[in-house]
Amino acid sequence: MDSSGDEALDIIITNVVATFRTRCHLNLRTIALEGTNVIYKPEDGKVLMKLRKPKITASIWSSGKIICTGATSEDEAKLGARRLARCLQKLGFKVNFSAFKVVNVLAVCSMPFAVHLIDFTKNNRPIASYEPELHPAAMYRIKTLKATVQVFSTGSLTVTGPNVQNVAAAVEHIYPLLFECQKPKPLCK
Amino acid sequence: MLANTGPVAKLYLSIIDDVIENMKELFQDEGLEDQVLDDLRHLWESKLMQSKAMEDFRNNNTNSSNFVLQLPPNYKQTDQEAAASIVIPARQNVSSLPSKNSADGLATFSLPASLTYPVQIPAGVTLQTASGQLYKVNVPVVVTQAPGGQQPASHPTQRAAVQREVSAPQPAAAPSESSSLPASCLPQSQESGFFQRPYVPEIPLGDDEPPPQPEHVNVGATASPVTQLLNFQISAEEALTQTAQSRDIDEILKEVIEEEREKAGRARTLSAGNTHHQAAADLGMDLDYGYRELSNIVQLDGSADNSDPEEEAAPLEESDFLGLINAEAIKALQEENGSSDGISISSSDDEGPDDLADVQEEDPLNSGDDVVEQDTPDLFDTENVIVCQYDKIHRSKNRWKFHLKDGVMCYSGRDYVFSKAVGEAEW
Repeated sequence: MDSSGDEALDIIITNVVATFRTRCHLNLRTIALEGTNVIYKPEDGKVLMKLRKPKITASIWSSGKIICTGATSEDEAKLGARRLARCLQKLGFKVNFSAFKVVNVLAVCSMPFAVHLIDFTKNNRPIASYEPELHPAAMYRIKTLKATVQVFSTGSLTVTGPNVQNVAAAVEHIYPLLFECQKPKPLCK
Repeated sequence: MLANTGPVAKLYLSIIDDVIENMKELFQDEGLEDQVLDDLRHLWESKLMQSKAMEDFRNNNTNSSNFVLQLPPNYKQTDQEAAASIVIPARQNVSSLPSKNSADGLATFSLPASLTYPVQIPAGVTLQTASGQLYKVNVPVVVTQAPGGQQPASHPTQRAAVQREVSAPQPAAAPSESSSLPASCLPQSQESGFFQRPYVPEIPLGDDEPPPQPEHVNVGATASPVTQLLNFQISAEEALTQTAQSRDIDEILKEVIEEEREKAGRARTLSAGNTHHQAAADLGMDLDYGYRELSNIVQLDGSADNSDPEEEAAPLEESDFLGLINAEAIKALQEENGSSDGISISSSDDEGPDDLADVQEEDPLNSGDDVVEQDTPDLFDTENVIVCQYDKIHRSKNRWKFHLKDGVMCYSGRDYVFSKAVGEAEW
């Protein structure tokens, strides 16, 4: 939970997943036939609707639950969700925009140093797990923040958490741990 | 360019034939005269030709040798063999007739459609169009091109004394309506009669009238001993003026086509019993008549429930959409009062969710206030359509790949028929 030191690490949010409800049943067939930029997946019972701006893909179920993915910030996710609800409203459904919640935020971050994963895992035994045969990154779960950090030997991280703040906090949390186990980068960067 | 222009036209005409044949019985059962069926057929064909979807067909037919003139052996002009097709004599005072028509026995004479020419065709000439119809001209006529210029130059239509040598399976067509529309003439003008290019399949119908019906002659001949300016018995005829002839004809055609469409649409809804067809027919209004049937395919997959009692699955026609917009506008007006509340709520919520685990807001969708319309909602409100079946459609991120089969593409107004098509696109 210490500060990351002098340099500021760039945490880049790559994906924000949010859900909301329209509180009304949606006729998928109508959406599929009359909506624009829609992909109907009858085998999954959902319709995908893609928005250009913000760049968002939404999965729409007939129950009225909608999952909105692809946004790059929480605000963008909300804006996209509202635009989407507006689209559905225009198609004729009595949409009520409710229960909007950001469910997942995915961010990437790069350490200025490489990490020795085996040492890192040893030092953080129960919390970190590393199975190189399965996945090349070590997984570090922060229970308090409900965040998961995957650490790669190059020093890159991917962080997933329920919201942006948690993600930032997770990076702050893990930085000193990684700093301890850093390994000098090879000459050819 | 795709080299399937001829086949498209042939296919469409064969479709028309097929449909008309199959409908004959039905029409008769319904108590409608065969005449009605013929009208339908003529209108269909004329609309088809006019829609430029088969433009190539017309171009090909008119640009290439269009008219094969077979002059009777006793024709003064040249001494040709009786059976040989003979060129129109040089007697014609054509301004810009191509040099193809030399006076000495060229086998065929082709009148390039694109030229404007007054062609004086003497009596006794038998004309044959590329489609094989033969027309014998008993009265000297002057063939000119319509001032609109779009339609390629005409083809002398019949006179009272016309005898068609090629029999066509045409029952007696409604004289005025059937052949008249595309081939109306100027009754009033004293100069050379103007013709719209009478679409070839149309003419025969006009010709079927028994000879002693001089009023169906539709050519104006000037500068010839026999000048027959005959009026068509269409009401719309009076609307025809010299200058705006082509345009008026288009309008007339449109009106009639719409009538016809309603008729056909009613017939279709009768048979289909589903408003979707009507909608599809309406939506396909701008498309070629020929594949209206294709666009009537109703999607049957997916959950077919209609659990939205208030929102029936009505086709989204313009009127409906306007209705929706109006409803939205009303809603927006009503919510304007509550908009300030809405905005404050949403702003506080933006700060809130970070702390709250669950955001339980009932934020009204202030339509128009917060939510902006999609930019360029109809980015390309295009008329280019492909109606087909798919083998495989694949997408990776925003790259789409299409493997299609058995379809018709309407591109830039022209129709292309394919049995296989592969495409790629980026969204």
